[in-house]
Amino acid sequence: MISVQGLTKRYGDVRAVDDLTFDVEPGKVTGFLGPNGAGKSTTMRMMMGLDRPTAGTATISGRRYVDLSPPLREVGALLDAGAVHPGRTGRAHLRIGARTNGIPLWRVEEVIDQVGLGSAAGRRVKGYSLGMRQRLGIAGALLGDPRVLLFDEPVNGLDLDGVRWIRALLRGFADEGRTVLVSSHLMSEMQLVADRVVVIGRGRLIADADIDEVLQGLGGRRVRVRSPRAADLHRALTDRPGGPGRPEVERTGSGEPDVSGLGATEVGDLAHALGLPVHHLADVEQSLEDAYLTLTRDSVEHHGHGEQPVVNGARR
Amino acid sequence: MSTLMAPRTTTTPSALARTGRAEWSRVWSVRSSWILALLTAAAVVGLGTLVGLDAAGDPSGPPPDATAWDGARPSAMFALFGILALSVVTSTADHATGAIVPTLQWTPRRGVLLAARVGVVVGVATLLGLALVAAASGVVWAFVPVVGLPPGAGAGTLGGLAVVYACCSLLAVGLGLALRSTAGALVTVIALVLVLPPLLANLPYDWAVDLSALMPGSNALYLIFGEGPRDDMTATSSRLTLTAWALTALAAGGWRLLRTDASR
Repeated sequence: MISVQGLTKRYGDVRAVDDLTFDVEPGKVTGFLGPNGAGKSTTMRMMMGLDRPTAGTATISGRRYVDLSPPLREVGALLDAGAVHPGRTGRAHLRIGARTNGIPLWRVEEVIDQVGLGSAAGRRVKGYSLGMRQRLGIAGALLGDPRVLLFDEPVNGLDLDGVRWIRALLRGFADEGRTVLVSSHLMSEMQLVADRVVVIGRGRLIADADIDEVLQGLGGRRVRVRSPRAADLHRALTDRPGGPGRPEVERTGSGEPDVSGLGATEVGDLAHALGLPVHHLADVEQSLEDAYLTLTRDSVEHHGHGEQPVVNGARR
Repeated sequence: MSTLMAPRTTTTPSALARTGRAEWSRVWSVRSSWILALLTAAAVVGLGTLVGLDAAGDPSGPPPDATAWDGARPSAMFALFGILALSVVTSTADHATGAIVPTLQWTPRRGVLLAARVGVVVGVATLLGLALVAAASGVVWAFVPVVGLPPGAGAGTLGGLAVVYACCSLLAVGLGLALRSTAGALVTVIALVLVLPPLLANLPYDWAVDLSALMPGSNALYLIFGEGPRDDMTATSSRLTLTAWALTALAAGGWRLLRTDASR
């Protein structure tokens, strides 16, 4: 488990990370999201002991990273795939990591096979593509077969096969009970793989919730319906008796109603009761991207007003 | 998780030994180290060859008390250039390439990393320099067998050079760790060892000559050739001055590595 308590990093007057508190639980893939400059990488660097916090602590399995010895057997991390000496071969790079942590060299060959680096492991890193560097970085993270994994943008530069492979890898680690923290800008990817998300903006926590809770925060269910009598259906939905469950109806570009707050069953029943023909009726899946944009937009407003609102039970 | 990979704790001595082995791999797993070592070897042994050829062709013959070790002094000076370059390149490579990120992930105890890095780089550079000077002395002796290659004189020469090389390598490593820039550290160390000492010594001011006598380069040259910008320089004062420079640079580099963020 990773525990971040009151973590703060200041550079002069700038607070890159501001009193950040959250936990990353084992057995789940936790997405770490935020706009550029939100403080994600700085937070991960402080977790790994690369940067010194101005205040607060980050512990892994109850200990600071610097106190883990040897660390690779407890934590594996990919923070920057480009941070490798370009004149060294991939295999030599991994062997150095193995030597520092007392890991047998056969394990190096194992992780090279695991990430699909193959014969490229014997070539100098300066000849690697971005995807190959990502795979090398992931191999380094897996060297010690650790219980905790941190990845900063792991699918950058990977082709579709690579993306699906890393998705399965993360899911598999979480299912084995390991702690997995993944930072990414790809919301669609996060929606597929993450069980929980931690969203930060301007160094402060915006949301720390299960992904379903975050999606629910967008207003619940949405339905898209197509009918040759779209105007009548729109009127019927709009004039539906009010109350807490009153739906919101918007017309899409083609004039078809887009209904929020009702499920496909209720809309279908209503159309049937009124004798309105329906040619298409489907629940619209909420996207993490929409939720993320809403959350981070609110974060900017929050900083402008200095409030600390609570949305969906999550601290902002 | 496999049984073999189960977490276990490591003591500081074993962590130091492992990190030292890893530092050794870091030095020799990149081509630049080999190239620098080979270029230095070619220059040092080549200069020994020229000195030997010159002495062999001199009709007046060598001085009566000269040994082949004396003939290798110019080579010892050239070896110092290589030692400085190798020390700077190997100590700044991590920050220059960003590889400090995995390095500190693998060895988060920075004191252990500092000790291993300083020990391996200074040790490798010093031993390389001594081996090359010994080889150059052998070449001189091969051309002028009459001068001899007495082991006693060799021990004295190599012992004295070991202090010079270790201190200058430590100076270069300390500056490399402090500046975190290959170009910056190389320019600084060349200025301190090679450029400023003769420049200051040739200015028509006493203070400039005094300052030159305090520079690491003047003291290294004194210990190699027995000549310096001031007449009152001694081997002991030069060793102490060089050591002070080396320890000051180490303190600066150590502070930067131990106390500041990894890439800022």
